[in-house]
Amino acid sequence: MSVRAVRSGRRGPVPYVVLLGFVAVAVLMVGPFVLVAMNSVKSRTDFAAHGGMSVPSSVDLDSFRTFWNSVGFTHVLTNSVVVGASVAVLAVVVSLFNAYAIGIGRVKGRLWILGVFLLGNLLPQEALVYPLYDLAKRVGLYDNILAVIIVFTVIQGAFGTYLLSSVLSSFPTEILEAARLDGAGRWRILWRIVVPVSRPTIGVMLTLFFIWTWNEFFIPMVLLPSSANQTVSVSIATTQGQHMVDITMQAASSMLAVIPAVIFFLLFQRTLTRGVAVGAVK
Amino acid sequence: MSQAALEPARPPGTTPEAAAVRGRRRRESLALYLLPGAALFVAVILIPMGMNVWYSLHQWYGIGPMKWVGLQNYVRLFHDSTFWTSFEHQVGLVLAMAVVPTVVGLVLAAGLFDYIGARFGGRTAGLLRACIYLPQVMPLAVMGVVWGWILNPRIGALNGLLGDVGLGSLRHDWLGDPRTALYTVMAVMVWVQIGFPLVIFMAGMQRIDPSLHEAAEVDGADWWQRFFRITVPIMRPETYVVLLMTTIGALKSFAAIYTLTQGGPGTSTNVPSYYSYANFFETTRVGYGAAIATVMTVITVVVTLVLLRLQSRQQEVRD
Amino acid sequence: MYRPGKTSVLLAAAALTALGTTACGGSSGSSAQDHVLNLWHYEDADSAMGIAWKEAVKEFQQQNPGWTVKVSHTSFEQIQKTAPMLLNSPKAPDIMEYNKGNATAGLLSKEGLLTDLSPAARSYGWDAKLPAGIQATSRYSDGVMGSGNWYGVPDYAEYAMVYYNKDLFAKYHVAVPTTWDQFTAALATFKAAGVTPLADGGAEYPAQQYLWELALRKADPSWIKAYEETGKADFHDAAWTYAADTFADWVKRGYIARNSVSQKAQDMGDAFEAGSSPMMVSGDWWYGGFESEITAFSWGTFLIPGSTYAAGSGGNLWVVPKNSKHADMAEKFINLTLQPTIQNLLAAKGQVPVAADPSAVSDPRARELVQNYRTIVGRDGLAFYPDWPVPDFYATLTSATQNLMNGQSPQSVLSSLQSAYTSGFGH
Repeated sequence: MSVRAVRSGRRGPVPYVVLLGFVAVAVLMVGPFVLVAMNSVKSRTDFAAHGGMSVPSSVDLDSFRTFWNSVGFTHVLTNSVVVGASVAVLAVVVSLFNAYAIGIGRVKGRLWILGVFLLGNLLPQEALVYPLYDLAKRVGLYDNILAVIIVFTVIQGAFGTYLLSSVLSSFPTEILEAARLDGAGRWRILWRIVVPVSRPTIGVMLTLFFIWTWNEFFIPMVLLPSSANQTVSVSIATTQGQHMVDITMQAASSMLAVIPAVIFFLLFQRTLTRGVAVGAVK
Repeated sequence: MSQAALEPARPPGTTPEAAAVRGRRRRESLALYLLPGAALFVAVILIPMGMNVWYSLHQWYGIGPMKWVGLQNYVRLFHDSTFWTSFEHQVGLVLAMAVVPTVVGLVLAAGLFDYIGARFGGRTAGLLRACIYLPQVMPLAVMGVVWGWILNPRIGALNGLLGDVGLGSLRHDWLGDPRTALYTVMAVMVWVQIGFPLVIFMAGMQRIDPSLHEAAEVDGADWWQRFFRITVPIMRPETYVVLLMTTIGALKSFAAIYTLTQGGPGTSTNVPSYYSYANFFETTRVGYGAAIATVMTVITVVVTLVLLRLQSRQQEVRD
Repeated sequence: MYRPGKTSVLLAAAALTALGTTACGGSSGSSAQDHVLNLWHYEDADSAMGIAWKEAVKEFQQQNPGWTVKVSHTSFEQIQKTAPMLLNSPKAPDIMEYNKGNATAGLLSKEGLLTDLSPAARSYGWDAKLPAGIQATSRYSDGVMGSGNWYGVPDYAEYAMVYYNKDLFAKYHVAVPTTWDQFTAALATFKAAGVTPLADGGAEYPAQQYLWELALRKADPSWIKAYEETGKADFHDAAWTYAADTFADWVKRGYIARNSVSQKAQDMGDAFEAGSSPMMVSGDWWYGGFESEITAFSWGTFLIPGSTYAAGSGGNLWVVPKNSKHADMAEKFINLTLQPTIQNLLAAKGQVPVAADPSAVSDPRARELVQNYRTIVGRDGLAFYPDWPVPDFYATLTSATQNLMNGQSPQSVLSSLQSAYTSGFGH
């Protein structure tokens, strides 16, 4: 990085003060997770006696075990990974096709088309639930994870279309022209030219779509009633009873829910730094 | 990828006319690529949206026969004062979930990107970004519980901390006092929300040409001056995207509030979006819930159009 | 040129696998399912119900060779929110635990989604086995509970009582109160010693149940009927006025901590378990957890002194969906759970069984729990809950009691309850 040569000086205490400030912010953000982690390894008697803020007197993994077994977590985890990964990939593909037409093809009425697509994000989810249930039942996809995959492909794809269309609308035309002169077709241009250049944005989209879908609670809860089709975020709700909460188990279950999402985020960290060039809707 | 590097320069031998002809052909053919997305969209969004409007014209409990009531649900909604007064809290929620995270996120992103990153390396910046993003992956139900511990008036960390630093007189039932409940919820929502803008902004900052900063620095501009003169203008597109998405999110969301306060004490943290949810799922008055959802959608569409309009006007000014 | 990275390949593979598995997974052999009873419930595996039902499943499979019970563990929230959808689909289980009440079991029975269990109730003798107060939540007529056909059967009952910390009672020389005056005197004694006597939580059901218990002191059967069934409640009558005034007074005196406004039910339970309040008035559902989690002090329970009534009712119901493929076997299973072995197991694990025999319970504290239940049922003292008559009245009551705790005048709080009740009843 050439920037660093000029501006990397760590002269004086100021940079360290700023760093300290950022570390303080980071601690504030991570602190509550430390609390969750602490309580997830507490025994229930320990929690009962000392509450949520105390340091655990010993490490007790019972909550993890009990939760894992009672919801069949291996299975639940697989469901969530399959749903999250499928949605991430499919929503990127859908966004890419849409944005190819809108951003590069500059189809007529593109601003309107974009606006309509955004409805996918605007609509309150509870308004979608009864109709989606009805439709899923009609086509035999009620209680089938495919229904949830399709629904979130569209919902995440709405955001992806908006984001990617903005990026592609500033795509340099001369590259396309050159490719066309070389005899490349539309399909080839999409995969050989547009996709590689948009890779950073696609990386961001994959990451966000996976994590957003991972955390979706409401639609999976409604469309996937049977425990065989449960997703991770829905399975956490089993720790919340009618009259009370099994707190140590809830803490354990949320650690189990958060860890895969964090791993995914860390894996894709690098694509994030490579950037997303968001242009404007023209 | 830097946009400056990709400024279009017309390749030799192409006339505007030829480009226009080609452009038209391309336009027609690429429209095909909209088909899969459009078909899915019609099935998952448009048809359900129409069905929701249809429900809103009925009295219906989610099962059994639907009874046609025309616009009665809407008439009732316009006289439902608890619904409309809860919009005051919505303003707070938009501040906490959209405006503040966007502003603070931009400052933090710039600080991480071209201050911390430049001085302590990309790894440090990346780690800090991951930490700040973390709340975005916490399940909401758990978020409510953990902040409940922290804010617990009896044994919570916040009051404990205040006591430890000699500010015991400031100890408070933060979520239980109607005068502080909304602000406390807002503070927690900033905590929840800030990771999203941060990630988007830091990614976008990749396209700022480093030589701009270098030149400004040579001219003696300090960090804040460079931030306002270089970073903020270039980040305008991201700012709109982030502001739009977070505002939509704030208008739709109530789940986070409900895990913290259940809308209380009294109704002091209630928000309108909870109304449609409660009608759909607590009282199963699906018709009324659908009417509320429809009205909320219209309101969100209006807000979105205003923001999109602002964005495209800004764009024109800039071009 | 673009080369897909390793992660992208993995993601794509996962997506394809998903499409593949879900596409093939639609129709698994139906012949194997012929002797499978699909049972759904939402109780913790280590709760009394979880343990007792596991045992019931085992016995059922022994008594019915060739049959398997497939137990699915779901969440209260999921069933609460999606049961109408589930039961209106071919995916409905054969037997399911479901919440009692007009808005839940009542609504579904009215829409024809539940099997009428009346013939089974007669032939198996459930109508004789279950006390009248318990039957109220099993029977619905046009969706309204209290009478009519049987649509659900509870295995256990709920009632409110006072949990107390024996160590703190001893420390402050307080005897277990047997009259209302002794009870209020105890409150004053603890407060004078600087201890908040009652644990509470304003953000969920505990506070409104305190209010309800106070109103019940002035209640009689016609008052309860008017409130729960006919929509004729008067929130400015003697009972409600007394309840609101007393509750506000208790908060003012510090018998109930003002800063429990934002506390949830679990926070109340935690406060009692941590020994910070000597008493807590709530339902028996805390019992099992306290039994296993409180080790630092000894504790006990007593009935609310000087009151005929206590909040309570039959517990959640076994219902048989209309789309159940094996309704007869489901009824057989229900009957099994009402037999002494399962009922006594519930009692032994700290739950109140609908038809248990106290003499069969060895643990003295658990025996007391069952005995107290029989005392209440014997005087027809189960008074249901305050949020039942109006859909989502729970939220209204919660915010009203929070306002009361924050100092709003009792009269205006009661007026707000009255208007929500009047406009909401019967909808």
